[in-house]
Amino acid sequence: MDQKEKRLIKKVKKGDHQAFADLVDRYKNSVCSICLRMVGNREEAEDLSQEAFIRAYNNISKFDSDRKFSTWLFRIATNLSIDSLRRKKPSVSLDAEIPGTEGLALNTLLPGNTVPPDEQIVMAETEQWIQKEIGALPDKYRSAVILKYVEDLSLKEISEIMRLPVGTVKTRVHRGREMLRKNMKESRGGRNDMPE
Amino acid sequence: MTCLNKRYASLMNKVLDGDATVKERNELFAHLATCDSCDRHFKELKRSTEILNHLAHPQLSADFTKNVLEQLPAEKQHVLREWTARHPVIATAAICVVPMSLLFVAAGRQNSMPKRHGEDSYILVNQTGSRN
Ligand SMILES: [Zn+2]
Repeated sequence: MDQKEKRLIKKVKKGDHQAFADLVDRYKNSVCSICLRMVGNREEAEDLSQEAFIRAYNNISKFDSDRKFSTWLFRIATNLSIDSLRRKKPSVSLDAEIPGTEGLALNTLLPGNTVPPDEQIVMAETEQWIQKEIGALPDKYRSAVILKYVEDLSLKEISEIMRLPVGTVKTRVHRGREMLRKNMKESRGGRNDMPE
Repeated sequence: MTCLNKRYASLMNKVLDGDATVKERNELFAHLATCDSCDRHFKELKRSTEILNHLAHPQLSADFTKNVLEQLPAEKQHVLREWTARHPVIATAAICVVPMSLLFVAAGRQNSMPKRHGEDSYILVNQTGSRN
């Protein structure tokens, strides 16, 4: 963890709100990305992200400053997302829309918004399709795959976030990856327009 | 995968994880050059994960940060927490006083409901109690 972050944490531990705001600005997009890919709904992802930051603040005294803050924060975000998925599960009927496709706005894909509208739609469709495939993975594979491939984290970091041995994380990534490959191949059907 | 050799599935994982030695890499790619099903399988694996990298991160506005800050407990409470950590004896004494005063407040409310003073202290206690 860099020195500036260490100083910020020290201030947050003393109750400094402005220092915490700096941390929120640093990590809010990554936290929201993890939640969004886990639950598939932008609005819910923002709520979960808020909750994650509030929890982080309220428990900051338990955070060991020698560790990486993002690891600790991403753990909170991942766990909240999994809890939220588990809470919802019993009410989802079989013919309901697969969770993880609703509420994906175009602007989640294109912050700069310089792409022509028709291309945006194609990209948004691709995004929805990818999200649907991620959403079809069981929770434990989904979180491993998201942290590895959407967030680009190392296996070691993921193992710290999930508090699992690296070997277990690896197995989950392998299984998730294989499941994703198989499902994507099946659902893609005729379309071969997957971006390279 | 129609290819029955399990070794190549594990080599694919090693290569994709970045764990393979040069020798293992060469072994896999030599096989992929001769086995269509493994070659296809490997490309599909690579593509299905690379595509996840195309997912853009959501961009949250300044309002998000503002909303989070508004929901944090007031800064003052943390000063209090720090203080109790440094002065545990006084803090414990103070904690003992709270239920006692609550008893007084309850008694006061019971005895004289309409009394202005009793109402005020009830509100005060309630407010501090409802914050976490
Ligand atoms: Zn083969």
